[in-house]
Amino acid sequence: MFYKLPSFEYFKARSVGEALELAGKIGDYRFLAGGTDLLVDLKIGRYKPRAILDIGGLRELSYIINDGSRVRIGALTRLEDILRSSVVRERLPLLHEAVYHMASWQIRSVATIGGNIGNASPAADTAPPLLVHDAIVKTRSVRGERAVRLEEFIQGPRRTLLEPGEMIVEFEVPASPGLEEYWAYRKFGRRSAFTLSVVGLAVGAEFLEGSPVFKVSLNSVAPKPVRARSVEEYLKGKTLTDSVIETASKIVQQDISPITDVRATAEYRRHLATVLLKDALKEIAGRLRR
Amino acid sequence: MKVSFKLNGRPVEVDVEPNEILLDTLRLKLGVTSVKRGCERGECGVCTVLLDGEPAYSCLLLTAQVEGREVVTVEGLRGDELAEKIARSLVEQGAVQCGFCTPGFILTIYAGLKKGLIKNVEDAKKLIEGNLCRCTGYLKILKAVEKLLA
Amino acid sequence: MALEDPFSILEKYLSAEEYVVVGREFTRVDALDKALGRALFTEDYFIRYLQGNALFIKQVLSPHPHALIKAIHVDEAMGVAGVKAVVTHRDIPGVNQVGYALPDQPLLAERKVRYVGEVVALVAAESWEKAVEASQLVKVDYEPLPYVLDPLEAMSRTDILVHDEAGSNIAFKTRVRKGDVEKGFAEADVVVENEYRTHHQDHVYLETEAALAIPDSEGRITIIGAAQHPHLARDIAARVLGVPAGRVKVVVPYLGGGFGGKDDEGPLTISKAALVAYLTGRPAFIVYSREESIRIHPKREATIIRYKSGARRDGKLTAIDVTIIHDTGAYANRAPFILWRATMHASGPYEVPNARVDGYAVYTNKVYQGSFRGFGNPSIQFAVERQMDQLAEKLGLDPVEFRLMNILRPGSRTLTNQELDHSVGVGEALKKVAERSNWISKRREFDAFNKAEKRFKKGIGVGVAWHGISTSRGVPDWSNAVLKVEKDGSVVVFTGIVEMGQGSPTSSHVQIVSEILGVPPEMVRVVFGTSDAPDTGATHASRGTGIGGIGVEVAAGKIRERLARLAGDLLGVEPDKLVFREGRVYPRDNPERYIRWVDLVREAYARGVELSATGYFFLPKGKFDDTTGQGFAYPAFSYIVVVSEVEVDTETGVVRVTRVWPALASGRIISPLQVEGQVEGAVAQGLGYTLFEKLVFDERGGIVNADLTDYVIPTALDMPVVEKPIYVEDVYKYGALGAKGVGEMALIPLPASIANAVSHALGVNVTRLPLTPEYILQLEGVLRR
Repeated sequence: MFYKLPSFEYFKARSVGEALELAGKIGDYRFLAGGTDLLVDLKIGRYKPRAILDIGGLRELSYIINDGSRVRIGALTRLEDILRSSVVRERLPLLHEAVYHMASWQIRSVATIGGNIGNASPAADTAPPLLVHDAIVKTRSVRGERAVRLEEFIQGPRRTLLEPGEMIVEFEVPASPGLEEYWAYRKFGRRSAFTLSVVGLAVGAEFLEGSPVFKVSLNSVAPKPVRARSVEEYLKGKTLTDSVIETASKIVQQDISPITDVRATAEYRRHLATVLLKDALKEIAGRLRR
Repeated sequence: MKVSFKLNGRPVEVDVEPNEILLDTLRLKLGVTSVKRGCERGECGVCTVLLDGEPAYSCLLLTAQVEGREVVTVEGLRGDELAEKIARSLVEQGAVQCGFCTPGFILTIYAGLKKGLIKNVEDAKKLIEGNLCRCTGYLKILKAVEKLLA
Repeated sequence: MALEDPFSILEKYLSAEEYVVVGREFTRVDALDKALGRALFTEDYFIRYLQGNALFIKQVLSPHPHALIKAIHVDEAMGVAGVKAVVTHRDIPGVNQVGYALPDQPLLAERKVRYVGEVVALVAAESWEKAVEASQLVKVDYEPLPYVLDPLEAMSRTDILVHDEAGSNIAFKTRVRKGDVEKGFAEADVVVENEYRTHHQDHVYLETEAALAIPDSEGRITIIGAAQHPHLARDIAARVLGVPAGRVKVVVPYLGGGFGGKDDEGPLTISKAALVAYLTGRPAFIVYSREESIRIHPKREATIIRYKSGARRDGKLTAIDVTIIHDTGAYANRAPFILWRATMHASGPYEVPNARVDGYAVYTNKVYQGSFRGFGNPSIQFAVERQMDQLAEKLGLDPVEFRLMNILRPGSRTLTNQELDHSVGVGEALKKVAERSNWISKRREFDAFNKAEKRFKKGIGVGVAWHGISTSRGVPDWSNAVLKVEKDGSVVVFTGIVEMGQGSPTSSHVQIVSEILGVPPEMVRVVFGTSDAPDTGATHASRGTGIGGIGVEVAAGKIRERLARLAGDLLGVEPDKLVFREGRVYPRDNPERYIRWVDLVREAYARGVELSATGYFFLPKGKFDDTTGQGFAYPAFSYIVVVSEVEVDTETGVVRVTRVWPALASGRIISPLQVEGQVEGAVAQGLGYTLFEKLVFDERGGIVNADLTDYVIPTALDMPVVEKPIYVEDVYKYGALGAKGVGEMALIPLPASIANAVSHALGVNVTRLPLTPEYILQLEGVLRR
């Protein structure tokens, strides 16, 4: 009542086809998946679309499929379903862990993975695990389907490669035995729970011809969630000794460009990125030694 | 626009604006005053309802989104044995102070127990992370859950 | 009538061989209604009963920190369909003056605005949408003025004045002069000197401010609204309307939390609704959005405290020299009272022979200072207790041992040279909690742990605090209540005390009546929060039970005297040999010869015994000299000790409070369950204050984090283990059944105890709050300051 949303027309799509058709027709619209980010953005006036296109009811895009070398997650799969999925827990433990620490039950029961990525917040918590997994974003429009690497898909704060009339339909997440076992996740917020990331970090190891290849991703430290390519490059072919970990955790500074805001200073975020990466690599090193 | 959904076991049809949020529909149009207004941006939990059996913030839902779905508030749990047990336990343990957040806590705890997600106090603590309380410090709420589990 | 003399009644019930209801487990009478969502809060009354009938009020806020108001244009806003009034200072029929301690504050800004968020106009319309739309069309011509945000800068400048007529930005000064401070420091073997800083905290009551005003046909207005003192709200509203107080009635329903904030903002909220109702003749409803609440209402003030203290090698404090600066913000509000409280508590609960304390409440162009659980005391106790730890360290003494050497005891003289004759249980509380928490062995154990462990450090810290009960100095304070026994034996009590979560009217008051009259609690109903009751004072300062309950006790005591005489006649027994218990009245030596309560009441009605009484009690106070700060400060002090255990991650800077041991010397514990609730709740609120809650201001003094996304409060997962409180029941002769007060207590020493624990863990000197990870890393030298 006291927080008036701007006026808009409301459309509810009954199928993906209908959603795409409506999107093409309306032009000035925002998709509503769960709406937990969108409604706040509407309230604070970030967006003033002519229409809201509610795709939240499209059950056809809510699924988690264990598909051999990959896991396919429908764009409208709720975070709560991801959290409770044994497939995700076993094959994408990083994603499971990230969602466990995300928001609250009330939000997870409504919010979707597609919404979290599509919103393209620098603090999107599903992004670091998906980036570590080199997830592919599948999109669809009346012109057909596209598959884009997530790393390219998110362009910057609230900017993606999604074109008008196009929607995210699926995340294709390559899984590997390495990432099932050798992973570490850290999320740091201002309180112990139900908190926005000040820094979030996902690290995993895959194996190429028997030797580990490390993949590192962070959020809230750059205009968008990022892969720490310098760190990954440095770690290539190295064993995780204490000194290697020490150096790697410093190199991460080259991969990030945090800002100061009301949640933390840039300086602290930089410090934290190093600390969390060191912790995460130590945790993985411990598992690798076993 | 007309939206139909099930509220506390009964079908309702309401005439709403497209930009109307469920919290306003429940409180202002349907007189469901147990659902409270606290922050209107999904941060405090006093507007919690059960949507198809799971807790959700009614301030972060367009009413249009709940078309065809089932919404439950504490008014709808009257006579429900589990809900009454929860309420009684909160009362007995001194977990109710100002009471503004209490209906929201009851719904979250109810859903957690109903779905078998609360096996111990730690589970409960995690599940109520999205319900804020400024009076009790949460400890007596958790004690009430502990007593229920015993 | 001597038997009905309040002093003898208080004395009579101060101690008993056995209390039947008091001190026992008791289920508060409002809990189930609240749990089931049946309890109505202010906004619920609007929704249930006046929707479609009442006008909505939307406030127009100042975007400037400091500006002259050249003109306010309302025509365009008035032109919006459905808009019934745009109210500015010009429309106020009475006096546009709502300053609490000083006459410096308008209800609606008049000549200038003094902070971003100050209320300039009220727009009343048939719908919220129209009110919002029109509020954006109210055009105010401002002439921006230079502004000042930093209190130290404000103190030293006279070219920028927040209040021109004051001639200075220092709103108020306090001082204490005791003994010879120079001599005291000359005698000291060790001296510690620091500057401490604390920050603004928001109450975040989950229910925001709201009021619903309903005019009647005879020119009276009833307001249902969120406040902590219905009579004060009524008086201020009547002054704004320019009508006699009797024409305004205020009813405070259940409150979704108050914590002091609604004591300050409540009368203003209520006055705004009353004003619109008065001017339009229509019911009017005002409610603050969360953002408005954070921007508009007063806050726990930020402080700068310079503290120097000295002690002798034998462990005795010799002198303190303290300067307290409060960032008062745009209006004085209760600043003089908050500052006095900080000033008179500046020694902590210790004997200090020589003291100099200077307090300054300083205007700045920011949201203003107000009441918040602890009322100026948490910040000063933080400084005191940091000093005590450092003195102990320099003396090579254990912190608890050093405190015990100086602790107040019966017969001690306080900072203001007031002699404490009784009810001083703090030393015992400190000893007991040190024992319960294994203080000495934990201290050693953690020292060893910290030597061996590099990253995670453990610490344990103590905070001891005192809190004067009632108003300070000679400021009058009283209690009252009206109690009636109905023909069917049920008892109705009217009190101005409100129910904001603390449960005094729904728990302790019921218990007091039940105890004294021997009637089951179900037969007692307390009508609370109404200005129709005699003025009971505010529900603040932890006084709802300890002082608010006196009126209930005295009124019940009077009725009991009357009924005891009647029962004595009927049973042929001396009245003072009678027991009132569980609905029966009988001679102590013969419980079988009883008369039922309901029958006794019926007899009373038949024989002309009056069964209504007031419970007026005026607290005896002494003299206080404002120029030296010496004399009678408070009728008594409530005391608390908190021991906190922390674990610090030296790499992330995160402080985790793992366990808290509280010990109260707060007089009689009437309702243990509610007392535990107050302690645990205060720990949560104090934990947020100490670790991460902080309002952030932009370069124009606007609040950056005016929402619950960026102003974060603790969740269930942030809570430490809170041990069951230790009670030292050092009963106070003028408290309800000996109670002093509990509501604020645990918040007062908690920041100190956590800061001391962190200092212990890291071997650093914590001088600032909150203990954010960044600050911890700065203390470690990892991040620059």
